[in-house]
Amino acid sequence: MKRRSLLLSGAAVGGALLVGWSVMPPRSRLGNAALWPPVPGEVALNGWIKIASDGAVVLAMNRSEMGQGVHTALAMLVAEELDVPLERVRLQQAGYDAIFGSAESFVGFLPFHADDREAGQESLTFRGARWMTLKLARELGINITGGSASVADGWMPLRLAAATARARLLGVASLRWKLPVAELEVRDGVVSHGSGLRAPYGELAAQAALSPPGDVTLKARSAFRVIGHPAQRVDLAGKCDGRAVFGLDVRLPGLVYASILQPPMLGGSFATVDVNAVLQRPGVERVVRLPPLDGASAALAVVGRTTWHAREAARALSVQWRAPPSGPLDSKRIEAALETAARDAAERQGGFSFHSRGDSKSALAAAAKRVEALYRAPYLAHATMEPMNCTARVHEGRVEVWAPTQVPGLARDAAARVAGVKPDAVTVHVTYLGGGFGRRLEVDFIAQAVRVAQETAGRPVQLNWSREEDFTHDFYRPAAAALLRAGLDANGRVTVFDARSAGDALEPRWMQRVLPALSGPFDAPDKTTVEGLYDLPYAIEHQLIAHVSTKSGVPIGNWRSVGHSQNAFFAESFIDELAHAAAVDPLKFRLDLLGHRPRHAAVLTLAAQKAGWGRPLPAGRARGLALHESFGTIVAQVIEVSLADKQPRVHRVVCALDCGVVVHPQGVAQQVESSVVFGLSAALFGRIDIEGGVVKQKNFPDYPMLTLAQTPVIETHTVPSDDAPTGMGEPALPPVAPALANALFALTGRRLRELPLAPLLT
Amino acid sequence: MNLTINDRNVAVDDAQIDPGMPLLWVLRDVLQMTGTKYSCGVAACGACTVLIDGAAVRSCVMPVSSLQGKAVRTIEGLVGPGGPHPLQQAWIEHQVPQCGYCQSGMLMAAAALLETNRDPSDADIDAAMTNLCRCGSYPRVRAAIKSAARQLAPRRRAGNR
Repeated sequence: MKRRSLLLSGAAVGGALLVGWSVMPPRSRLGNAALWPPVPGEVALNGWIKIASDGAVVLAMNRSEMGQGVHTALAMLVAEELDVPLERVRLQQAGYDAIFGSAESFVGFLPFHADDREAGQESLTFRGARWMTLKLARELGINITGGSASVADGWMPLRLAAATARARLLGVASLRWKLPVAELEVRDGVVSHGSGLRAPYGELAAQAALSPPGDVTLKARSAFRVIGHPAQRVDLAGKCDGRAVFGLDVRLPGLVYASILQPPMLGGSFATVDVNAVLQRPGVERVVRLPPLDGASAALAVVGRTTWHAREAARALSVQWRAPPSGPLDSKRIEAALETAARDAAERQGGFSFHSRGDSKSALAAAAKRVEALYRAPYLAHATMEPMNCTARVHEGRVEVWAPTQVPGLARDAAARVAGVKPDAVTVHVTYLGGGFGRRLEVDFIAQAVRVAQETAGRPVQLNWSREEDFTHDFYRPAAAALLRAGLDANGRVTVFDARSAGDALEPRWMQRVLPALSGPFDAPDKTTVEGLYDLPYAIEHQLIAHVSTKSGVPIGNWRSVGHSQNAFFAESFIDELAHAAAVDPLKFRLDLLGHRPRHAAVLTLAAQKAGWGRPLPAGRARGLALHESFGTIVAQVIEVSLADKQPRVHRVVCALDCGVVVHPQGVAQQVESSVVFGLSAALFGRIDIEGGVVKQKNFPDYPMLTLAQTPVIETHTVPSDDAPTGMGEPALPPVAPALANALFALTGRRLRELPLAPLLT
Repeated sequence: MNLTINDRNVAVDDAQIDPGMPLLWVLRDVLQMTGTKYSCGVAACGACTVLIDGAAVRSCVMPVSSLQGKAVRTIEGLVGPGGPHPLQQAWIEHQVPQCGYCQSGMLMAAAALLETNRDPSDADIDAAMTNLCRCGSYPRVRAAIKSAARQLAPRRRAGNR
């Protein structure tokens, strides 16, 4: 992380000064036809687009489908600009060229305050840094499906690629018919002229590949026929009849199965192993010892005829484990230390300051009323429904990998490192992902599979983790604590907000695991530790938001919405506390601080209206609200809750949002539903405990998640916008916990300042 | 041993399996029928749900040796001779799947529900659909089941036309 982080934060700081660099144009993301492996009957028009002889459009799909609907949304962009029906777009996995890398995800790393990046009012510094970052990211070309950035990232390059292809096809028709392009029309992939001339794309493609595109213009929004209109997801059929291939569904001739056994203790290793008894079992072939790879522990893998044979043998292995040299981890102790660190930072003006304005110390001292609260969030597991797995074959110096991964290029690098080959000797086939949520930004399971495949004499091996391995060897959402302080003036207006948080910085650890070549000797400040806390939209004159980065030793990683997942709970619960301290309605209190933020105010107002904020509810029910921006999208939620047998019952979640142009309306609604359910699971029940170095939660019964019966009515309302699209896979998650906690406060008068909430009420 | 899967007699080589082996792994790793999913291995999540004599069963804990003479139906056999099951149509109409990993089990659990209850109430759906979904497809699962139930109820369908 460090070097790139420095590079990026250097870019951020120096952006405005380095305008001279702008004489060098950013690397084009159009790419050329040579990026495609040749296929008879298909003509490539650029790095993204091919036309098949039947007129179908083949799109190079660079992003992984993990449920978020990205295959559909990106195909819609291309269908729009090429004027073909969505079902005529076929997807083919993209290669590894830099054009397929992520640019917008890296802009998300920039530690800019909301004041700098408000759409339409971006500061010069932000614009400069953004431009530089995009340019650098294009050079790096790292392909990440993450940071809710896929549609934002594809918005320009994909539409431009499609529009360029369309312009070339039209140009050929124009030449053939000796008619100006302006007189031609395209419908459903057929170019036509009022005179009755018609030519489908398939007939024009070969010549188009040799022709220049001429003038390329993107469609005006008013001309959209696909974007913003209802569309059927492209991945539905196979997901309803069992044909969709997830990582665990890869079946190859000669496939053997390997089950992993990792030390029960995090960071542990094995002292002695007796494999003999296990090797006598029918259907068991061998036991492979794995060194610690890309963040994984040292481990054992049992290779067998079926997953069952391998797994039963792995369970039966006789192993003596060794604790890590630093001793066993204990989450209670860590969480207590975080609390102490946050309190110390508040007392001594400590922590790395991510945002500072005015003089928070003096303003706190001068406040008519002070409010102070300590908030806490636990470790969380990803718990994807498909456990970690990867299939690999190592044969004659070549490596082939079939993997549910969010990072195909980094997976390729990891496979190459383990096998000792160059990356171009590795092919990664990306399957469907049975959930990702950030867990599949890691490459530990890929490295393990390749290592095992080195021992199976050229036969492919499917490495699978049991659910228990998956829960106990995750890269967890880090635990965090924050001491929040604020002051109100005599009129009840908040004048100062001071936040001191503590927790592990996760991006440097992630970089060490997956991008070791770019990882340097020290940690750069990690913006994810304070995202959603340092960049509040509210007009508060004095602010200081600082973070103490700890190193607990617990493996931590990106968990859906990352730092926002806990910081929104801290910030929006605390804002609610301030509203009550000021004796002002929580909606009005927020709106009063959003005069300079019309988009935030509009989203909040829409949610309140749709939820009937202020209207009476049946006895025993209450509402809470929260407003939070993440990944460029502004989301407000109003949650209705009651208590039954001392347990919260969530009835209704009304969600309003501004995500720029809506590309796929049902996709947006699905991601709201998804984020709300995921967020409610975490807010109500989610916690990972580590005792004696061992994760206590080993399977779903230990880690409750929302069920269908517990799921509320979820409504999605979007604010119309002409801005470029922003994230949707994560932004509806962060406001769930605070909206729920605020509703529970309204219901019970109890302010709940730690997660999960349900156990606090029993 | 012989199994009856999706109305077909399937011979399983006894040397490939052991008697305690759960049906899930016989389906997935021996018969290469990968539509039925592994997720928890302890009958907690329902991703491995299949029908045995019409009832929803979690195949990850169902020893294959207990299935002699019983009829197994998997997601691969949910499509009937007349085309997709009404549930599959409703699933597409309501855009239920996201990642899709749990959906085979969801569909089979819903099929079992509709086998015995052609007009399930919300409470019936709550009780029958205990499968876990991490993507939060639940509201659409509920809506799709109701929609399929309407398709399956002949009197109502006649009434609508």
